Amino acid sequence: MSLYLFQALNGIGLGMIYFLISVGLTIIFGLLNFVNFAHGAYYLLGSYLAFTIVSLSGNFWLALLLAPIVVAALAWVTEKTLIQRAYHLPHTFHILITLGIALIIQELSISIWGPIGKTVAAPPSLAGVIQLGDFFYPKYRLFVIAFTAVIALALWFLLERTRFGALVRAGSEDAQTVSLLGTHIHKLFALTFALGVGLAGLAGVLAAPIRGVHPFIGPEVLGLAFVVVVIGGMGSFVGALVGGITVGLVQSMMTTLWPQGASLMIYGAMAIVILMKPYGLFGRA
Amino acid sequence: MCFSKMKKLLSLAVLFSASSAICSAEEVTIYGVKSLSGSFASYGKYADMGSRLAVENYGDLLGQPVKYSVIDTEGNAGKAVRKVQEAIRQQGALFFDGATLSSTALAIGKEVDKAGGVFMTPAGADELTGSECNNATFRWSVPTYGAIHETVEPLIKAHPDWKRWYTITPQYVFGEALLNNAKAVFKAEGIEHAGNSYHSLQEQEFSGYLTNAMAAKPDVLLLLNFGGQSSNALRQAVNFGLKHQMKILVAWSSGLDQLQELGPQVAEGVYFGAQYWHTVDTPMNKELVSNVQAAYNMNPNYPMAADYIGTRIILDAIAKAGTTDGKLVAQAMENSRYQGPTGEETVRAADHQVLKNYYLLKGKAASDMQDKDDYVDIISSGQSFPDESSLDCHRG
Repeated sequence: MSLYLFQALNGIGLGMIYFLISVGLTIIFGLLNFVNFAHGAYYLLGSYLAFTIVSLSGNFWLALLLAPIVVAALAWVTEKTLIQRAYHLPHTFHILITLGIALIIQELSISIWGPIGKTVAAPPSLAGVIQLGDFFYPKYRLFVIAFTAVIALALWFLLERTRFGALVRAGSEDAQTVSLLGTHIHKLFALTFALGVGLAGLAGVLAAPIRGVHPFIGPEVLGLAFVVVVIGGMGSFVGALVGGITVGLVQSMMTTLWPQGASLMIYGAMAIVILMKPYGLFGRA
Repeated sequence: MCFSKMKKLLSLAVLFSASSAICSAEEVTIYGVKSLSGSFASYGKYADMGSRLAVENYGDLLGQPVKYSVIDTEGNAGKAVRKVQEAIRQQGALFFDGATLSSTALAIGKEVDKAGGVFMTPAGADELTGSECNNATFRWSVPTYGAIHETVEPLIKAHPDWKRWYTITPQYVFGEALLNNAKAVFKAEGIEHAGNSYHSLQEQEFSGYLTNAMAAKPDVLLLLNFGGQSSNALRQAVNFGLKHQMKILVAWSSGLDQLQELGPQVAEGVYFGAQYWHTVDTPMNKELVSNVQAAYNMNPNYPMAADYIGTRIILDAIAKAGTTDGKLVAQAMENSRYQGPTGEETVRAADHQVLKNYYLLKGKAASDMQDKDDYVDIISSGQSFPDESSLDCHRG
């Protein structure tokens, strides 16, 4: 297998991880028109919860199940007590509120888990690599790609083919009318917010064995998620998938073509997309 | 009546002279410049604990207890400089220790030099004791030259069959300095440099660079990045199975705290270069370990040890100079020889670089660990520094 072909495969794998990191952000923005700057902090929380659960139980699968649920539950409480009051306010208020939440989560994480980073081991069944010609690819990354693909399908089905998805989409267009038709719109929005944030928690759990956990990972993840969402189009589910894979491919290919510019070219790709399609590849004006 | 008046006057005179004596005793305050918040807070917290402990353990200096005041650099050179300037202007601060980031240390060093003070730092940039050296700045950590010579050379000598080396380098001054030193050693030892991948200072995803390394099929992968980047690069290298395809050397690790983060599953069999390790058998290190365990119930790590000894070197120099005049204290530090955590250490007058050991460590298997911090074996240690004739430091 040639180096470039392997880099392309690696890029698609990276892209799936980036999709998972950003899909929650785009769902919350697209359906609730809410800018969540705490997205990276919820990812951080998911990673730390995974670390604790794996440390206590030695079971990664338990962490994969429990940590996103805990993060989503926390998001639901936050939405009910704080976020709900800010939906009608301009985006600047959303940013201020969620930045505050992000700082609280970050500082609490340092208090609870300390300032030194942590490593989360991949489950033993997914340890090791598979050989592809001269190259080796971690089994765990293959699992993440497959798992993310399943999550992407499940999300698409939930948002496009179920009554819940239809109500959320309708609510994002005209909340008042949906409410007048007998739907508890606040409950619907709370569930959507919890779903988006739960996905950030899930991304945190899945990425922990690859990237480790440290208290300042939140802003880094948030920046990456915004790049993916801007490329794909704010609020577009398909855009997050295409944006994620685009970023992954650009990053991976550039590490061979121009290694020192690999990170820069992610932003270069974003700039090109904005110039050609200001609302992103799948965004709406 | 007259006698009583005289007695009163005499008492007043005694009181006056006593108070004058007290006033003439100079109060010493050490200012710890530490990144207590921001991306390098994990380092700053332990560095602060080190300086604080050094001051607490020191006792009186020039007739008064030493004071300690911490300045949070927030991991930001601009903010650090503003705060240091304020401390100099408003509090007459002269003695500073710390600064994690090279950019912060370089900027602080210039300010302290202008104020005629003393600044001891463990930061990595060779410019601190090279082209940007000044009368105030001293550095405890071994420069990139020593870090490469004390890690790469012993491995080449012990394993002559490891002929092809691949490097992954952060593209900024520190990474370039490590890479240039590594290339010089490769050339001198007849080693083939199988390739290099540069990466940016923000990079956290290393799978692409590791793929480049896999394609080059080297005997050794040399990681020239630091902190979170070297942890992520190593963690991902282990994920990709590189540990079984080649040897891995992290030339500039942060020691115990990094190994605590990585754990033995990742660190086993990997080589690490380190400025300090808590089991080093020297009298002062034993004292340091004992003090840190008593105060914080933990083993000292690199930031703690570096800032403990850095602070203590300044305090000893003030005691030796018998004054808080910064210039005289700096002179007292020059050429001083003392028992440090790594054994006998010397402050070289020519460039204000502390000459001390650098360590080559090898990660142990979890089953071989004798205690929770017994992550490595010390493979070798030694001192390698550029000759005085080749220094870039030209102080005014």
